[in-house]
Amino acid sequence: MSEVELNTPTLSQLEARAGQARPAFGEHAHVLCDNLVRIYKTEGVEVVALQGLDLLVDRGELIAVVGASGSGKSTLLNVLSGLDVPTAGVARVAGTDLLAMTAKDRLRYRREVVGFVWQQTARNLLPYLTAAENVRLPMRLAGQGSCTARAVRSGELLDLLGVGHRAGSRPGEMSGGEQQRVAIAVALANSPQVVLADEPTGELDSENSEQVFAALRRANRELGVTTVIVTHDATVSEQVDRTVGIRDGRTSSETLRRTSEGGDVIAEEYAVLDRVGRLQLPRDFINALDMERRVRLELERDHIGVWPDKPRPEEPEEPK
Amino acid sequence: MNPLLPLRVHQGAAAVLALLALSASLLVAGLPRRFEAAYDRAAHALLAEDPAEATDLTVALSPAVLGEHITGEEGFRTQDRRWRALVPPSLTPILDARRGDDGRFAAKTFGTPVAAFLGPEKRRPAEYVNLGWVSGAERRVRYVEGSPPGPPATVASVPGHSELLDVSRFDIALPRAAAEKMDIPLGATLVLGHSHPVLARVTGLFEPIAPGDRFWRRNRDMAEVTTRPVAGGDSEELTITALTGEASLTELTGEGRDLVYVWSIAVDPSAVTARDAASVVEGVADYRRVLGVEAAKFGGGSFAEVLDTSLGRVLTGFLARLATARALMFLVLGGLVAVAGGVIALAVQLLTERMRDALALARARGASLGQVVAAGAGTAALAVVPAVLAGYGLSFLLPAMSGPGTPIVYAGPLVLAVATVGFAAARVALAHRTPLPVRRDDVAGRRRSPRRTVLELLVVVLALAGAYLLRSRGLTTGVEARGADPFLMLVPVMLTVAAALVTLRCYPYPLRLFARLAARARGAVPFVGLALAARAGQVGALPVLILLPALAVSVYGAVAGGTLEGAQRLAAWQATGAGARVERESGLPPEVIEKIRRAPGVRAVVPVDKGLAQLDLGGRNVTVVAVDLDAYRRLVAGSPLKVPSPPPDDAAAQSTPVRTTPAQGTPAQAASDQSIPALVSPDLAHLSTFEIGWRVRMRITKRGVVTGGLPGLTTATSNLVVVPYDASARAGTRPYTSTLLVRGSGSGGDGLDGDRLRAAEGGLPDVRVVTVEGSRRKITATPLAETIKDGFRIVTIALAVYALLTVVIALVAGAADRARALSYLRALGLSDRRAAGLTVLEVVPMIALTACAGLALGLALPSALGPGVDLGVYAGDLAVRAYDLDLTTPVLLAAGLAAVAVAGAFLHTLTGRRPPGSVLRSGE
Repeated sequence: MSEVELNTPTLSQLEARAGQARPAFGEHAHVLCDNLVRIYKTEGVEVVALQGLDLLVDRGELIAVVGASGSGKSTLLNVLSGLDVPTAGVARVAGTDLLAMTAKDRLRYRREVVGFVWQQTARNLLPYLTAAENVRLPMRLAGQGSCTARAVRSGELLDLLGVGHRAGSRPGEMSGGEQQRVAIAVALANSPQVVLADEPTGELDSENSEQVFAALRRANRELGVTTVIVTHDATVSEQVDRTVGIRDGRTSSETLRRTSEGGDVIAEEYAVLDRVGRLQLPRDFINALDMERRVRLELERDHIGVWPDKPRPEEPEEPK
Repeated sequence: MNPLLPLRVHQGAAAVLALLALSASLLVAGLPRRFEAAYDRAAHALLAEDPAEATDLTVALSPAVLGEHITGEEGFRTQDRRWRALVPPSLTPILDARRGDDGRFAAKTFGTPVAAFLGPEKRRPAEYVNLGWVSGAERRVRYVEGSPPGPPATVASVPGHSELLDVSRFDIALPRAAAEKMDIPLGATLVLGHSHPVLARVTGLFEPIAPGDRFWRRNRDMAEVTTRPVAGGDSEELTITALTGEASLTELTGEGRDLVYVWSIAVDPSAVTARDAASVVEGVADYRRVLGVEAAKFGGGSFAEVLDTSLGRVLTGFLARLATARALMFLVLGGLVAVAGGVIALAVQLLTERMRDALALARARGASLGQVVAAGAGTAALAVVPAVLAGYGLSFLLPAMSGPGTPIVYAGPLVLAVATVGFAAARVALAHRTPLPVRRDDVAGRRRSPRRTVLELLVVVLALAGAYLLRSRGLTTGVEARGADPFLMLVPVMLTVAAALVTLRCYPYPLRLFARLAARARGAVPFVGLALAARAGQVGALPVLILLPALAVSVYGAVAGGTLEGAQRLAAWQATGAGARVERESGLPPEVIEKIRRAPGVRAVVPVDKGLAQLDLGGRNVTVVAVDLDAYRRLVAGSPLKVPSPPPDDAAAQSTPVRTTPAQGTPAQAASDQSIPALVSPDLAHLSTFEIGWRVRMRITKRGVVTGGLPGLTTATSNLVVVPYDASARAGTRPYTSTLLVRGSGSGGDGLDGDRLRAAEGGLPDVRVVTVEGSRRKITATPLAETIKDGFRIVTIALAVYALLTVVIALVAGAADRARALSYLRALGLSDRRAAGLTVLEVVPMIALTACAGLALGLALPSALGPGVDLGVYAGDLAVRAYDLDLTTPVLLAAGLAAVAVAGAFLHTLTGRRPPGSVLRSGE
């Protein structure tokens, strides 16, 4: 028997290998999107908003999803919030499969699993209710707690987010930042596991933005709630642990923020490698090297080299 | 979610909805009652035209048919219980139990001649003295001479009348006036009947205590002498029914005497309502049948007519009118309900649209569909239910709306409330079925689904088929009393919906054409305005669906009302014959004619002579009218009357003195009298020359045929001969004038004052003065005619208000979108005035096209309904064949409505202006 033959697995070996339990993609992730596709179709016109998006968010993580207008980030958020159903792929939040939910599941999901904050301050709150009443509304809708318990909880949340003093005010009487912080309190009212925020600072000045992010961070840290913020503002990466970039309906890059030994905040940008090995190169990299159509890849010992498809001026002789 | 909060926040929209619900509830609960009350009044008015005793159920039987000889009041009472037991249940509610037994039972002979008069013989006219007993009569008379009749006796022999042996003698009492008129003194004894004679001795003369009361109206034959001309002679025969005592009943048998027993079962005409009229008619027929069967049981198996009442006849006539009135009212009420429903739907749309964001937020925040629907529908219910209740209650408080209730009165408001809340719930449920708060307008395309196209086609086809059926079968499908076919009653509604669908489908096309033309023009406003209008889509749908029926029903009402008025006018003219007519059977003297000619307001008069004449010798009777048709035609010029051309008149053509004109024609006619040209009715058209005996004998030559008679001059349309006015003179006697036709100062010769004419004729006895105005008043006073006009008026006003509201609500509902579009345009440099013009341009095409479609539909409805709605019963039974298509009122209506709507749009743009920034910044 030759060596080759010995190394070749038998059918039974292959079978056993196939039957072996292997960790699934993102098995332990709190938010999981795998090859997510969402297509809007009307009268033969198709708009592919998400084209195979992958995303993993761990429990208790605070991440931002950034992308240009039309990149699909709002669609992603609608899918995650259970307001929209993806066309294909896998979407799971806190163990709930978003593609296989009944209407009843969906309602329970919105009541118990997620909370969200939208960009328009006016859309987050009912203008004719006070801040406290707005916070109590989701609890009442879900039928949670007694009247007193709800009042206590709303008070706690508003205090936590620094707007306790505005409990009796209506949205019209508050600043945009205060409104958004109340909106975060509303989103947290039913103790969700995930909070999704769609451009929460889109209409705010930098000072108010800072306060809103601080509130989101505090909620994330103190309540341990996983938070996903969608924004087109690339500078948000300074406010969150991880920033996921979306381009053309796919996750393209990730920026990790860490604090150096010297106490400086260092943000490092990574490209996202999907499960089948696809990679999006940053557009400015491609432009800088004038890359077109195809590139040459070379596997080195600890990295892969990507070369433009044209002869290099000093081509080293390959060792023979 | 507490629905009170949204109610407070959107109080404007909620108030509009509440107001609409209140008005609709008021109309739905009130108008049918108002109409029903009018129907009842009409029924009572018609029944009141007949004397009360004629509508009573009168059972009349001869002793032979009854098979029993009744000897006293108790016997009548026993039978009465029997008749009452047979009264069908449908008649029991209208029986009048309050009235006592007085006058209810009677036994009377009829046609009992006075054979002889015991005493001095003298020439007497033909006289009839019937013997009668009526229950309670003794309490209704006061004896002025003599004493009440005693019991009957038998007289062994009568001096001077050897043939009278052992005859019965009745004591009788007569009214004093009758005794004087018939020359029968107190104490006289009469021999009654030629065979089986009896004697009647007058023991008393009385006067009725209350001659006008029901008792005496029922027994008029006992209070007054009936005079009847004897056929073939100029003398008269006098008839009275003499009162005898109850004791006489034992001797009053049917043997040898025509005797009838009468039981009257009093009916209370005010208890008859429009709703049970049909069952009363059936009940009368049932009762007649049952009594016939019962009578046949007693009386040897022969069926006899034993029930006498005018109730069935009067109510059958009433039901014919009622059917038309109901059909018309159903039509206008249906239109009103459809329009009110549409406007309410629009208001609900406005309210739910206002609540959309809040509900979407709640839905996204975890409200179940049920919670969201409960909040939305609850808000609508809070606005609608109290308003509907208030409208319902108000309809009971308003005296103009009082009347008996029908199921629709109670069910209408309930259905209204339920439908409104249901619609709100359905809208909210559909809008928030999926909880996605953001509508992706950028990828939402509009294309009508094939299913909807098929549905629309189905409605159109159904409507057309229904219209065809309606035209061929009529609205009531033959059974007047049974009411109308609901499918056919729905046809107008379906036609309206079909027209609205077609309008909705087609109205973008002309708009696009205009928009293309406008695109080439310099101004941007027309192009943008028309483009906005052509893309209005859903926003425009509901207003079209509302405006169209509103206009169609209003226009139909105007056409029907105009037709009715025209028909009534024609009927009034046909009833009068000219502006006024002065008649006297025995002839009008020349000086009276002269006085009338000079009376104030009289422009011209035409003398007419008319009467009955015998055709040839011993032939049939014909109506002869002598009138100068040329003069008559000039007299009524400008009125709706048509006067036939006069017969070619040789004598008049030669303008020679009538008397000396030599006879013309055949040698046979060359007698001393000459032939008179005449128009004859079609049934006499086969005669070319004939003679009539009228004033003098005259020879008539047919020179033409007059069809349809001469309305106003005579009701005869057959056996009619129209001769020149001087016919009598030509025949050798003087001209007579029995009728004077008068032309007044009005455009058609009307405008005459009847009182002045009466004053002018100088108070001659038996002169009749009739004016067109008087006839018209009489015709328009026909029960129900006013109700119909009234109904059309109220509904038209309500529809106009609703139409106006529709436009305003539609504008308010689309205000946010429009404000945004306008703000962008104003940021680009659009001036305020042009912005207002843009808004107006946006709604004008919709209103204008809908107005045209509504106008066309309203004008087409009369012919679509065809024979289904017969207005003739309200126009003096004049056949109304075609509707008058007088376009003025409908076009004015449509134009007025459109103008008001456009003005509303303009005002809305002026008041609802906001600085562009406020809209653009809001980020909506």
